[in-house]
Amino acid sequence: MLILMQLGEPNEFSWIINLAFFAFIMIFSLYGAKFQMWQWLKQIETGLHELKRMFIESRQTAIDAFKEFGKSEEEVAKDLDRWMDYFTIMPVDLDPAGILKRLDHLLDERRDRFQEFVAELAPESGESMVQNLENTLEVTQVLGLIFRVVRHFYLLGKKTGSQIMIMQIQMQMPDLLRLAKAYFDALSAFADGKPIGDGIGPLIITKFAREYGGTAENYNHEISREVGYYKVDAEGRTVYALRATGPGGTVGKPGLAVKKLVDKFGDKVTRIITIDAALKLEGEELGRVSEGTGAAIGDLGPEKHAMEQTATERGIGIEAIVIKEDEAAAVGVMDKRILDSVPEVIERIKASILKRTKPGDSVILAGIGNTIGIGL
Amino acid sequence: MGLASKILGLAFAASGFLILWWGMGVAGLFSYVWSFIGMFVMAMGFALLTSGRQQKEEKPPPPTVTEIRCNSCDFKEIRDFQKGDFILKTVETTCPKCQSAMTIEGVYIVREEPDEKDKI
Repeated sequence: MLILMQLGEPNEFSWIINLAFFAFIMIFSLYGAKFQMWQWLKQIETGLHELKRMFIESRQTAIDAFKEFGKSEEEVAKDLDRWMDYFTIMPVDLDPAGILKRLDHLLDERRDRFQEFVAELAPESGESMVQNLENTLEVTQVLGLIFRVVRHFYLLGKKTGSQIMIMQIQMQMPDLLRLAKAYFDALSAFADGKPIGDGIGPLIITKFAREYGGTAENYNHEISREVGYYKVDAEGRTVYALRATGPGGTVGKPGLAVKKLVDKFGDKVTRIITIDAALKLEGEELGRVSEGTGAAIGDLGPEKHAMEQTATERGIGIEAIVIKEDEAAAVGVMDKRILDSVPEVIERIKASILKRTKPGDSVILAGIGNTIGIGL
Repeated sequence: MGLASKILGLAFAASGFLILWWGMGVAGLFSYVWSFIGMFVMAMGFALLTSGRQQKEEKPPPPTVTEIRCNSCDFKEIRDFQKGDFILKTVETTCPKCQSAMTIEGVYIVREEPDEKDKI
């Protein structure tokens, strides 16, 4: 009871506690933001270390993958580091006329340079392996880029004391780490040539074509760069089922392929159906199938434009069937739930052909995606 | 670090708080000594309360498997992925049941389903 009576009782030294309390209030109201910045910088630093680790490990994985094909580890490391900074300058958009043509040209040029570099660095690799190594290189490059950009803002924020810069990068950090982790986890898939979630489009095309007699032997190569097609008769219609040529990792130029097919087979084509993986919303089921109108293709622009332009000019109906995936599943090894969506998509394709085309019509079925680990 | 340590931690933190409160009312320089002891006991209590929080351990990625099916019968084989496997590749081995050719029908991983709490 005596103790309780003494609780909180003032004494001659209680002014020290009062002073400490007011000092605390003053310090935090004047320097609270500084403390918070310091805390944010520490959080960015932790994330940055993680990004660096992922980049260094992915670089080593890339070196290990490349050195199997004719060059020493030192030579590979040196050339790879030189290539990490490779960039592409987007075309000027002040005069937008013809920008897609210019972009297409630049992307072709970039692709040529990548292939040339990989062929030089791995002289003993085959065509499929060159494509897989190219993908491995691209993933390493992406991880390097994320790390360098975050480091840039971290150091710049520290140097200038800019709160907004530090705050932005701190707030984006979880998302950046998630993206980097998705690519990092996917690296072994690219290095080993395993199929990835994004490849579901081309896989469905081949499974569909095989149901109607399509084989690797009657696949027509190179209608456009790294894209070919099966010509099959399905439900009384002629179906041109096109996809990039695997099992090497490539997406090819499917938009241009659609344009060429329409130019070649002209008026008989009454429908274009695109099949692709699409980003799912959080909470949605992985491998859920959805359909809609338009060209399902996630390129920078030229391929989608080619499809839309062709469909519009000729008045051809264009529709999309997509398989929902998150980023990690799209770039990582194919998930069983994505693979299990194949029969449903094929059923939807058949239903669409039966409902929206007449016997004797021609249909273009385009499977969009990376063909790594998916044979013809 | 189970429930006992949490209860102990809570008891320490509460006693520390009481000692600090009481110490602030003690006359003379002993007030500082008691306040310091109170803070120390409280810190020990909080340390016990939070010590069980471990960082989520990262699970290794699930293994990649190759699913091979017979082209004629219903025979199916699932084995670990081997370098060079790709979907729709015809494998060299024949079906042990009917001796027909076999094809790789899938190369995949089986990820864990999301938590029930995330299903809304």
